[in-house]
Amino acid sequence: MISVWKRELQSYFYTPIGYLFMGVFLALSSVMFYLQILDQRSSDLLTFIGQISYLWMLLCPVLTMRLLAEERQKRTDQLLLTSPVSLTGIVLGKYLAAVTVMVATVLLTMVYALIVAIYGQVYPGELLVGVAGFILQGCAFIALDLFISGCASTPVSAAVMAFGVNFILWILDMVESSVSIKWLSDVLNFFSLYARNEPFLMGQLSFASIGFDVSFAIACLVMTIHALDSRRYRGA
Amino acid sequence: MIELRHVTKRYGAVEAVHDLSFRAPEGQIVGLLGQNGAGKTTTLNMLTGYFPPTSGQVLVDGMDMLYEPRACKRCIGYLPEKPPLYDEMTVRAYLAFVCELKEVQRKAIPGHIREIMDTCGLTEVAERLVGHLSKGYRQRVGVAQALCGNPPVIVLDEPTVGLDPKQVVEIRELMRELGKTHTVLFSSHLLSEIQQLCQRVIILHKGKLIREADMAELTDTGETIRLRASIAMKERLLLPALKGLDCVRRVKVLPTQDADTTEVELECTRDGDRGDPQTQLFRLLCGLDAPLRMLTQQRDTLEDVFLRATAESE
Repeated sequence: MISVWKRELQSYFYTPIGYLFMGVFLALSSVMFYLQILDQRSSDLLTFIGQISYLWMLLCPVLTMRLLAEERQKRTDQLLLTSPVSLTGIVLGKYLAAVTVMVATVLLTMVYALIVAIYGQVYPGELLVGVAGFILQGCAFIALDLFISGCASTPVSAAVMAFGVNFILWILDMVESSVSIKWLSDVLNFFSLYARNEPFLMGQLSFASIGFDVSFAIACLVMTIHALDSRRYRGA
Repeated sequence: MIELRHVTKRYGAVEAVHDLSFRAPEGQIVGLLGQNGAGKTTTLNMLTGYFPPTSGQVLVDGMDMLYEPRACKRCIGYLPEKPPLYDEMTVRAYLAFVCELKEVQRKAIPGHIREIMDTCGLTEVAERLVGHLSKGYRQRVGVAQALCGNPPVIVLDEPTVGLDPKQVVEIRELMRELGKTHTVLFSSHLLSEIQQLCQRVIILHKGKLIREADMAELTDTGETIRLRASIAMKERLLLPALKGLDCVRRVKVLPTQDADTTEVELECTRDGDRGDPQTQLFRLLCGLDAPLRMLTQQRDTLEDVFLRATAESE
């Protein structure tokens, strides 16, 4: 697992993907930082985090598209699957590599908090909860998109499908508010990764939301392992 | 070392391999021969644990691939048809990654890689990106990755396809070297390649095993030997004399361009009272004052065996 993690992590920076992800994330978030914080003379970092969390939907597919789909396309999975590594080890290694890049990027955005701290007031507890929620949300998105990468046959189709699914998850919020059937709107609300994040954005350490994000990620990883295994049995 | 027991593989409704059983004994070079689509790649993929068979057992060193996949996979180095290379890595970094995958001790990795690169002739491209290498070098990196972790069994899927003649010779030489210390199993549709390298041959046709035998046994012609001779004498004078030899059973005249030379294929009994057929022929020609330009013993080629076996199975 560690060897897979290490290789994927290196691979993000041997290829432009890692730089692309970090660069676009930081560029877009800095624009939002300017608009939301600097321009408004505000020190409300939680609202800012709430806004940049929409970047996950956009950018997580970039991180995950190659991970499994490219192995399949280039048939390098033959090396991994005929080596003494379990499927769980392979999937976890790849997942953790993407999470590592994501967390590193989030840590870089702490520069914004530093700037606010110099000119205004930062509440460390509140910020910590906000960032933790933000990272958990990213973990959930990456797990979902990794599953899609495992089902797709090329990186491009993986990225497009992942973006589509992420978009649907986001739209759930809007659909949910316009659905008049109570149980249906409850179900939709249950799956919305954005609604789940709201407690964090109010500075609450919500165990329900942590539990949801973690189990969402685990479920996606288990599904990924099963998708790969079933393909192995079909021999396709 | 490797054993398949009643292995069958179906892709949906298509049966790629049907009830296949064979063994690759330890320390031998075993060739898997078959036409395109005979099920060679499918067989190798099952044998290396890339995917499991629909039914049947794959045993490596007595262990079942289904129940002890890690222990089994540790014993096998596999070069698939398309080498599984990561283009963005350097050769050294790639091999280091494979070594880690194969659970080579961390401290031993640099030395191990140096050794493998030396064996495969990769030392001069160690720091180059895999994606920038020529096809021949990529294939060598593919072989090198199969050697990582020093597994006792090396499995190669059509290792010489698409290489230029010099590279083909190099890869074959490498395989012969490996055969001295490893069990090597490789597939090919080239009969000559199998004939050059293997001690044992397994012939597949349409997913079924049609022949499994030692190379010597397979090409043994028994009591008859076939000689091919080119003799500087007119056909009309030569033929009656040849037919007069008591070891000769059949004479077949082959076309030649030169009217003064005759080329013949003789089917002879191995041991006569007057020495072996070659000696008898030589004495006869000396007597006739007919210079012998060429004399070779024709062996039953693998081509003959293969065509016979596939024809029989149809």
